[in-house]
Amino acid sequence: MLELQHVGVRFAGLQALSDVSLTARGGAVHALIGPNGAGKTTLFNAISGYVALSAGTIALDGAPIHGLTPHQIAAKGLRRTFQNGGLFAELTALENVLAGLHARIDASFAGILFGSRAARAAEREALARARELLRAMGVAHLADQPVKTLSGGQQRTIEIVRAVAADPPLLLLDEPAVGLAPPVRAQLVDLIRRLAGERGIAVLLIEHAVDLVMAVADVVAVFNGGVKIAEGAPAVIRRDPAVLEAYLGHV
Amino acid sequence: MRFYILPLAALAIPLVANPYTQFMVNLMLVYVLVAVGFNLVLGNLGQLAFANTALFGIGAYSAAMLMAHAGWPFWLVIVPAGLAGAAAGFLASVTALRGIRVYYLAIVTLAFGELLRWSYIHGERATGGTDGLAVPNSHFFGIALDSETARFYVFLLIVTVLVKAVSNLLQSKIGRAIVAIRDNELATASLAIPTGRYIVLAFTLSGFVVGIAGSLFAVLIGRVIPESFGLIELILHFAMVLVGGLGSLLGSVLGAVALTALPEFFRRFPGLYEMFFGGLLIVFLLVQPRGLSALAARWWQPLRDRYYREH
Repeated sequence: MLELQHVGVRFAGLQALSDVSLTARGGAVHALIGPNGAGKTTLFNAISGYVALSAGTIALDGAPIHGLTPHQIAAKGLRRTFQNGGLFAELTALENVLAGLHARIDASFAGILFGSRAARAAEREALARARELLRAMGVAHLADQPVKTLSGGQQRTIEIVRAVAADPPLLLLDEPAVGLAPPVRAQLVDLIRRLAGERGIAVLLIEHAVDLVMAVADVVAVFNGGVKIAEGAPAVIRRDPAVLEAYLGHV
Repeated sequence: MRFYILPLAALAIPLVANPYTQFMVNLMLVYVLVAVGFNLVLGNLGQLAFANTALFGIGAYSAAMLMAHAGWPFWLVIVPAGLAGAAAGFLASVTALRGIRVYYLAIVTLAFGELLRWSYIHGERATGGTDGLAVPNSHFFGIALDSETARFYVFLLIVTVLVKAVSNLLQSKIGRAIVAIRDNELATASLAIPTGRYIVLAFTLSGFVVGIAGSLFAVLIGRVIPESFGLIELILHFAMVLVGGLGSLLGSVLGAVALTALPEFFRRFPGLYEMFFGGLLIVFLLVQPRGLSALAARWWQPLRDRYYREH
């Protein structure tokens, strides 16, 4: 469970986020919506350690994570995707997913250098798991393709596969549907539902497409000008006057 | 096992080589290590660090001084030479970590190399100044290094062991992490990979490998002089990595062999080599930036660089 209390972020004179409190629970999809500049990605960056808080606290399963570096927060079970794509372009899909399993591979430095039995076994195990993950997501045929040669939709799928490879309890998806064709978007909705429903992951989702949000989210939080202005079930949010004014009114 | 085909085949070289050819082959072995170490930082980690001749020189001078002044045998100075290079590599990584990247890192590391060369020239007591330091005859666990053939077998062993270790490293979680940092450092951290630690590791390991290359160089040439570790030498190292293939282990080997052999073909045409060398660099930069290794992989798929191992 992720808990934000009174989180604030300031950039040189600009108050990007003020007094944001939010709770994301395992098994639920929590969507963040709002116009551009509302502070959604800043909130993701604050949760994952890329941006420092100016106020408030963030806790993952009861333990504070604010003030830690991104890799330390990730080690506590958070994974995220990036709005502009966070894949390693020169690596293949398989190698990208293997990188997602990095912390799971229990091999010592000396063991790796000298090719010890234990180190090789750990790598072999990770390789099998990476292949299995790609197969389970229906993208096994992309395994040996350098990701820079893949389509936008394929890249986003691989990035999600990589993000969930190590079974994180918390997953942050930053606009995963941008530029996807409608059938691929339907698959994405299905995938996100399965990650939350079957694997019990707490999913935080930034998304502009209202139809997708309504289809996938259990809870919707609406942001405007760095402030959370409403939060509730999709059907309720859809009728909230403040939301219609601030967000849907602009569309 | 495929890895060992090349070194095993190389065992036969002394049967057909005359002493001069054998010397050139030994020099190639030294440069294979030089390029493999440099490529780790330049190609795999993607950092524009130009401390490679500094690392090479530190290794060579450490070995030469320990052998000449302290009377240590060659086998005993290999690891210290590597550690001296590793210490310098570590220092360079601290510079890189402090947010000094790209051009600044290039300039700082270049200056570092020139500073070292200055200290070789002026530290006469220890380094012999501009005349350099003669490296006494030595041995490797009792094998006298008094012929090109003897040096070849010892060098081949050392180079094979080190390149195999680097190959293991590149095809592991560490190799993937290093390349991941090059491609997208922020995203790498998001996967619970401690990026800073791997940047330091890549630089330090690069220093270790190149430092040991320096100790081999000292024994092969028999004398270390400041001139051997200047800018021209750095351009040669850079060209080996570039022509071979950035980030490719096979490329390091191909580049080192090709550019060590190249001057031999121009011996009868003085002046032409420099022109050809410059042209070669431009051609590779513009037409084949992935180097010889990419060409090789196009002919035969299994030669492409992989960051995992199929068991």
